[in-house]
Amino acid sequence: MLRPTLNELISGMQRTIMEALMPELSSPYAQGQAMSAIGMLAHAAAALESAPAYDAAEIKDLHATFKAIKKLGDRHLPKKGGLRGALGRAIRAAAKTPQDRREMEAAMSAFAVAVALGQLDDPVARHVRGYIRRNLERSRNLLGGLIPGA
Amino acid sequence: MPHAGEHRVVGLKRISGGSSRETYAFDLEWSEDGQTRTRPLIGRRDPTGGLLKSDREREFKVIDAMHRAGLKVPEPLYLELDATVMDRPFFIMHRAAGRTGMGAFAAAEAESTRAKVTDDFVGELARLQSLDYRKYGLKSLGVPENLQAPARMQAAHWNEVYDRDRMGEHYPILDAAFAWLKANPVASDRIVVVHGDYRSGNYLYDENGIIAMLDWEMAHLGDPMEDLGWASMKFWGREELAGGLLEREAFYQLYEQKTGHPVDRKRLFFYQVLGNAKMAVICLTGIHDFVEQRTSDSVMPFLELLLPALFEDLANQLELI
Repeated sequence: MLRPTLNELISGMQRTIMEALMPELSSPYAQGQAMSAIGMLAHAAAALESAPAYDAAEIKDLHATFKAIKKLGDRHLPKKGGLRGALGRAIRAAAKTPQDRREMEAAMSAFAVAVALGQLDDPVARHVRGYIRRNLERSRNLLGGLIPGA
Repeated sequence: MPHAGEHRVVGLKRISGGSSRETYAFDLEWSEDGQTRTRPLIGRRDPTGGLLKSDREREFKVIDAMHRAGLKVPEPLYLELDATVMDRPFFIMHRAAGRTGMGAFAAAEAESTRAKVTDDFVGELARLQSLDYRKYGLKSLGVPENLQAPARMQAAHWNEVYDRDRMGEHYPILDAAFAWLKANPVASDRIVVVHGDYRSGNYLYDENGIIAMLDWEMAHLGDPMEDLGWASMKFWGREELAGGLLEREAFYQLYEQKTGHPVDRKRLFFYQVLGNAKMAVICLTGIHDFVEQRTSDSVMPFLELLLPALFEDLANQLELI
C-alpha cells in the first residue's frame, strides 16, 4: 500500500494548517478561512470514505424505483407530460455500463414535478415519494443536517 | 470634512460575514482644527465570485434611501464604481456598533434583549413596508407591472439562476419546487420595498435592540409577504421560534399589529416555498463559483451541507414525502 494514504495525507494537511499556519495568522478573517479549510479537509476525508457507498445506494434505488414504476404499467402514467418517455430513458440509463445516473436523476425530476403538481396516480406517487424519502435520509447521513446558527 | 487634513486608514482588516462581498473594517483618521478625529468605517468590495451576483450601485442607493427615510441602517458614505481605483467597485459606510450572529438569534441572549430585538425586527419590517418607494427614488428597482408580477418575477428569476448554476445536475426536489411555484402564482395586495434577505443574522444588535439592518443587495419591489415568509422560514432557526425570536404564530400576530395588514397565509406559504428554493439556489451558486475557481472562500464548499435541511423543508411543503 502506498503511504501516506489519502486519509493520512488529509490529516497531515489539517495538522500543518493548525500547528504551522494558524499561529502565524493575525487577521480574524484569515484565521476563519484556515479553520474552514481544516473543516473542508475533514469533509473531504469523510466523503472519501462514504461517498462511494452513497453513490452506489443512489443508483441502486433509482433503478429499483423505476423498475417498480414500470411494473405498474403505462396505464398509471399520463399520456401527456413526457413521463412515459422519461421512464423509458431512465430504464435505458440503468441498463448502461456504467449506469447513467444523471439521466436517471433527470427522469426522477420529471416524476417529482408530477407529484408536486398532483398529476400522478397514487401507486406511482407512492414509489416516487418513497425514493425521495430514502434519498433525503441518505443525504442527511452523508452531509448531516446543518442549519445556520441552530 | 471641509477643513480636514491628511487622511489615514488605520487598522484595516478583512472581516467575515456578508459572503456576497469582501468586507473590511477600518478607522479613518484625520486632523481637523488641530485635533485628531476618527471614524469607524466598513468597506464592501465586489468579490471575484461568491453567493450572489448583484449590483453595487443598486445596493448603495437602497441603503441611502433607507437612511434618509430614518430606518435603522449604517450611514452610506461613498460609492466608487470605477474598478481602476481598487480593482473592483466598492462602497464605504459607517461601521455601526453591536453584534450579529449566523442564522437564528442566539439562544444564550437575555430574554429582555430577545424581546427588544423582536420588537425592532418586526417594527423595522413594518416601517420598510410602509415606505413610499417613489418618494425615495426607488422606482429604479423596477416597479412590477401588476400585482401578479412579483411572485411570477421572483420565481422566474431564481429558476433562471438555478438553471445557470446547477452545473447540469438535476435536483428532483428543486425541480418540483420551481414547477409548483410556476403553477401556483399568488397576487400581492400592494407593492412595497422588499429587503430580500430580511432575517436573523442580518442585523447588528445590543441589549437595547437592533442597531442596523444589513445586507441590502437583494432589495427589490414586490410583495410584503416575501420578507415575512423569508424571515419566518424554519431554516433560520428550526425550532418553533421564527428567526429564533418568537413563536411563529405570535410573530405573525405582532406583524399584523405593527403593519395593520393581515398575514395572507396562501401568499406566505408561496414565499416560504420560494424562500427554501432560493436559499438552495444561492448555495448552488456559491458551489458553482468554488468549482469554477471564481472564489477561494473556503466557506463555499460547506454550502453543500445546508442542502439536506432545505430539501427536507421543501419536500414537506410540497408533500413529496
